[in-house]
Amino acid sequence: MTFGDHIREVREQRRRESTAFSVRQVAQRIEVEPAYLSKIERNLVPPPSERTIRRLAEELHEDPDVLLAMAGKVSLDLQEIIRRRPRRFAELLRQLREAPDPALSRLVREVRDGDW
Amino acid sequence: MIELNRETLRFRFPEVHSEANCSIEFQRTLRIPDDNNSHPLPPGLGTFPLLHVDDFADRLPADWSRHGGVFMPMYQAEALWILFSGGYPMAVKVAAGKIDAISGLPFRNELTAKPQDYAVLPDQPWLDGFCVQEGLIRQFVAMPLGQGYTAEEQITGVAEHGGLQLVVYPMKAAEYERRLRPGEAGVAYADYGVAPQAVADMGLAPGGLMRQQIYEDEHGLDAWEQDVRSRCFVHLLNSATFRQVTGAAPPHEPPTADDYDRCGLPWFDYYDGDRETLAGAKPLARLDSVAARKVKEGEEPRTDDGGRPKQPRRILKLVPDRNLVREGCF
Repeated sequence: MTFGDHIREVREQRRRESTAFSVRQVAQRIEVEPAYLSKIERNLVPPPSERTIRRLAEELHEDPDVLLAMAGKVSLDLQEIIRRRPRRFAELLRQLREAPDPALSRLVREVRDGDW
Repeated sequence: MIELNRETLRFRFPEVHSEANCSIEFQRTLRIPDDNNSHPLPPGLGTFPLLHVDDFADRLPADWSRHGGVFMPMYQAEALWILFSGGYPMAVKVAAGKIDAISGLPFRNELTAKPQDYAVLPDQPWLDGFCVQEGLIRQFVAMPLGQGYTAEEQITGVAEHGGLQLVVYPMKAAEYERRLRPGEAGVAYADYGVAPQAVADMGLAPGGLMRQQIYEDEHGLDAWEQDVRSRCFVHLLNSATFRQVTGAAPPHEPPTADDYDRCGLPWFDYYDGDRETLAGAKPLARLDSVAARKVKEGEEPRTDDGGRPKQPRRILKLVPDRNLVREGCF
C-alpha cells in the first residue's frame, strides 16, 4: 500500500465517525491546501515534507515513524542519531535486520535504578 | 523495566502480564497562588524534557550517578504535575526528597496500607502535589535544596536527597484477570564543561492549595504483585544550568497564573464522587508553604505568591474517563 492510499484509508475511516475528517477540514488543520492533500491521497504527487507528515500523523492518531517510513523517509532525529555514530549504528542495524520483534524489544535501553 | 521514550517514562512488567504497563510524564504548569485559598487544577503546558543521568554523568554530581535514573530541568519556583496513563492497575509511590507525597512519612520501597502511601492507577489520572487534607493538595514547587523550603528539609531538617522518587508495582495477573480485565465482569475503566559540584540540586516544596482527591485503594494490599517493582529517581536540575550540562536550551519559563487567566484560558475541576478518598497526611498538613516560609524568614513573597482576589474565569469540569484531557495552551 502506498503512503497516499494509507492516508486516504485512515482518514476515510475516521470520517465515517466524524465529519471533522473531511479532506478540507484535515487539510485546514495541518495547514495545506485541500487540493494538495487530495493529490497526496491519489498518489499524484510525492509524499509531503516530514513536518506535514508529522502533522498528519498527529491528526490521524498514527505513528509518525511508521508514516515517515511509508513515505520513504527517515526522520531528522533518527538521521542525526546515525550521523553521530555512523559505523556503530550501521553495524547494529545490519546485525538486527532479521531479528524477531521480541528480541528487538529486549534491546530497549532501560532507565538505570541505582542506590538511594 | 523502565524505558525513557522521549519525554515519557514507560514502566513495563512483561513477567507479570503482557498488558502490565503504564506511563508517567511530568507536566509543566502554572504556579497557582500560594494564598491559602483552594484553587482548581491548572492546565498542562507540555512535558518536561527527561534525560538519562548516565549520559551526562561527568557533568552532574556524583550522587546523581549513584542514584541512577533521569533528570529534568526546572526553574526555581516552577511547578509540575505528574500524569499517569495506562489501563492496567498499578500502585504508584511518589516521594519528594524521600518523603512520601501521600502519607508524609519517610520513603520506603514497600507499599503500606495504613496509612496508604501510594496512588492507584488508572483511578488516579494525575498527582499535583502533597496530600495535605481530604480533597486538598499543596502544589509541587521546585526550590533549591539547602534553603529550608522543601518538604524533605521541613520534615527531616536535612537537605540530603532532593528530586522525586517513583516506585511502581503492578497488580497481580490473577487479580487483573479475575476482576478487572476490560470487557469482562468487574470495574470498567473508563561540551560544556560544568564542574559537577556547580550543579545546584533542587527539591520539591509545598506551594499553593489545590482541589484534588487522592483515591483510596479499593483492591487491597494483596492485589499488588509486591515482589515485582520498578524504581526511578528523577533528579531536578535548575534550568539555569541545564544548557551548561546538556548543551540544549531549557524550556521557556511558564506564564504566571494571572497572565494565563487574563487570556481566558481554562482551569479544571475533577471529581469522582463514587470513590473513597484519602484523608490527607498530618505531617504534610503541618508544612509551611513557600510563601508562608518566606514571610516567616522576613522575605518578600514573589508577586505571584500573594494570590488573586478573583476566582479563575473559566473552570472546566472533568468527569472520570480513560482519555482525560487537561491541556492548556499559551
